[in-house]
Amino acid sequence: MLTATRVQAPSSLQWVSLFTAALLVFPTAYIVYVAMTAAPAVWTRLWSTRIPELLGNTLSLAVGVALTTLILGVSLAWITVRYDFPGRRIWEWALALPLAMPTYVLAYVYAHLMGMGGPAEQWWQLLFGPEARLPSPQSFAGVTMIMVLDTFPFVYLLVRSALQNLNVSFEEVARACGVSPWATLRRVTLPLIRPAIAAGLALVILYVISDFGAVSLLRYQTLTYAVYQQMTSRYDHAAASILSLLLVVMAIIFLMTERWFRQRSRFYQTSGRYRRSTRQHAGPLGTALITSYVVLVFGAAFGIPVAMLIQWSVEAISQGALDTRFLGFIWNSSFLAALAACGAVIIGLPLAYLASRRPSRLNIACLQAAYAGYALPGPVAALAVLVLFTHFAPALYGTVVVLVIAYILHFLPVGLQSMEPALQQVTPNVEEVARTLGCTTHQSLWRVTLPLVRNGFVVAWVLMFLQTMKELPATLLLRPVGFDTLAIRVWLESSEEYYQLAAPAALLIVLLSLPALMLLVSKDWRGDPQEGIK
Amino acid sequence: MALFPRTLFALTLGLSALLLSQWPTRIAEAADKLVVYSGRAERLIKPVLDEFQAKSGIQIDLLSSGTTELVNRLQAEGDHTPADVFLTNDAGSLEHARELKLLRPMNMREVERAIPSQYRASDNSWIGLSGRFWIVVYNTNMVKPDQIKSLLDLGQPQWKDKIAIPNSGSEYLQAGVSVIKTTFGDDRTKQFLQGLKSNAGSQVYQKSSQIVEAVAKGQVAVGIVNHYYIYRHLATQPTAPIAAIMTDQQEGGMGAIMNVTGIGVTRASKHVDSAKLLIEFLVAQAGQKLFADLDKEYPLHPDVKTDPALVDRHSFRAALVPLARLAELREATLTLIEQVGLR
Repeated sequence: MLTATRVQAPSSLQWVSLFTAALLVFPTAYIVYVAMTAAPAVWTRLWSTRIPELLGNTLSLAVGVALTTLILGVSLAWITVRYDFPGRRIWEWALALPLAMPTYVLAYVYAHLMGMGGPAEQWWQLLFGPEARLPSPQSFAGVTMIMVLDTFPFVYLLVRSALQNLNVSFEEVARACGVSPWATLRRVTLPLIRPAIAAGLALVILYVISDFGAVSLLRYQTLTYAVYQQMTSRYDHAAASILSLLLVVMAIIFLMTERWFRQRSRFYQTSGRYRRSTRQHAGPLGTALITSYVVLVFGAAFGIPVAMLIQWSVEAISQGALDTRFLGFIWNSSFLAALAACGAVIIGLPLAYLASRRPSRLNIACLQAAYAGYALPGPVAALAVLVLFTHFAPALYGTVVVLVIAYILHFLPVGLQSMEPALQQVTPNVEEVARTLGCTTHQSLWRVTLPLVRNGFVVAWVLMFLQTMKELPATLLLRPVGFDTLAIRVWLESSEEYYQLAAPAALLIVLLSLPALMLLVSKDWRGDPQEGIK
Repeated sequence: MALFPRTLFALTLGLSALLLSQWPTRIAEAADKLVVYSGRAERLIKPVLDEFQAKSGIQIDLLSSGTTELVNRLQAEGDHTPADVFLTNDAGSLEHARELKLLRPMNMREVERAIPSQYRASDNSWIGLSGRFWIVVYNTNMVKPDQIKSLLDLGQPQWKDKIAIPNSGSEYLQAGVSVIKTTFGDDRTKQFLQGLKSNAGSQVYQKSSQIVEAVAKGQVAVGIVNHYYIYRHLATQPTAPIAAIMTDQQEGGMGAIMNVTGIGVTRASKHVDSAKLLIEFLVAQAGQKLFADLDKEYPLHPDVKTDPALVDRHSFRAALVPLARLAELREATLTLIEQVGLR
């Protein structure tokens, strides 16, 4: 390990990061405060009625989705990086597309397809008799499947990028020393991509436990859904805060586990001897297997839902659902998402940089603070921001600023998950060389570190852009009057069962997210980690 | 090589500039403008507001959201609220907003002439516009209408796995339980809710329209919904095997549970005159007809005719619990609902 940690006096960067962390931790602190000061009667009431069921449902869903995405994500990444098969370039790209699909859209499409009397059931009954029943999309299996289809790209993308940046020499050395291919995979490759797997799974789990759209449509009782129900049916937020506190604690436990995994294995890409792995050519049988696997996953996660959306959109448009207001919604959505993503990258940079370069307790604590927001369900994060602004900056209330801050708070962890590993993979030696060659700290940051971590940061930007685009509860609570986004349109229409009318906006969210996704997976951004130094 | 950070900063600067350029539009107070917070589905209110905008020239900015969310938002915004008017589906929530001093008492002769006093707040800080009933929808292939007389029948074990209910966050359910609780007392209500919970199982829905859909498909035999969802479903699918039962009409029975959609002017509003024009428009005969028919509700103006598709308003009785009491009853109702553990 080539870490070089030096003790330094707090720099201006440190102050910035402290300040940001304090701001980011405020909503959580507020929620904890409200929960702790709630009447004991509220606590006992919740414990005796709701909490055991909610905890059980939430945990089992998180674990179920995590395990399934692990298998799906790693296997798909492995196939696309290590094998060559017809259409590989297209599938490589296509498998990231489900990220553009909001869970609530996927949930609705499947509720329609697999629900009672839906097309899938009619087929099923044609095959197995009129009494045959499909597993309900509202069941544990159904909800798990829908969440998996929406979240597996997190694992897929991060593992894929780790596999691509993996120095194949390590594996070759192992093989040359007589280690079997399986043992090489287990003892060399998997440990090397473990940080990426852990980061991907952490994203998936945080996503699942804070998701609102799918679980509410499928009526699957999780903590986040219960928080929303409490918030929208109660004037005081004691019960909602208590349930949120449980969520935050749960998220922190997950994050600490992930960090523990990553801390135990910190790898730097050493310069010079990096070589990319060569692809193995898949034979006819292999090609058939790979293709059907990939087609199945892609079809279920993206192909079928989009086909449904297109069909509904055509019906809706023929009924005259599109008008000029749509242009405004498109602009509002893209504008908000871009602003939030840029803001979050800038805010996240000092936090991630300090935590990975000078991992003092303070710096790591600052970084951890930033992760708190993701565990807060959207509505609660929104509420806390709302209180902050009405107390301290009422003039800003009801403006876009408030909304953007809530987004940053909520989605910064998504970005940090890929900014942090990117920074960790740059060996501090490179910066030190820059310093010895006469660069100042600032110069070395700008001219060496940032270009090197560009990939990770682009991924972070895109992930945050996509998440913001799809965000629902915080947007609902904080949007300025007359500032509807596409997600709001989908929600307004679909919550009244006008699913056809909701389809054009849903389809547009998907379409607008596509360029950002293309950027994410296109070749230009793919890491040649040496590029920055040459 | 430092191209990427520069691009990022340029992008952020550009976007921030755009953000600032939008600033004045919010700060500037347009004279002829009303901001409406609406707890009712946009589709069911926007056409009426568009009509008003066309007639009066007053521009309407509409924010549609959940009822309780909007009350919370109004409270959080306090004096800074941009809202001039609060319009929503539940008298209990309107009354609660009044108690929080979020609404402004109004003195309007047009209102007093048009809307009977039981459908308004005592000081007219909220005014009912249309009535709806929380009743039973059944699948005509699966159930005979004489099998159900009272809402409370649905708590009986014979309906196990055959009913669909709204979730406990629904303001209609809360208002309905308040009325039942006032009429029948805590014990019978609790018994009823326990029966309802066990009979519904996982068939707990967020929206009445989903319940109607489930009944029409035969997924369940019976559901509890607001009456207009049945007629809205029938309007698009006239052959659907569903019909309404006006419950609790037997001799000495409770009567069908009623609630209203109402409107109030916020205390912080700076456009009270424009808001008054909107209220005048909505309580006048033409406005009442438009407003009620759009959503298949019952107009509250005694001289305005109900949509002929609906059950004649004179053929059934409404429960006697005053609407304004729904607010004070709510807390105890929520506690009961939670004791039972309704989802």
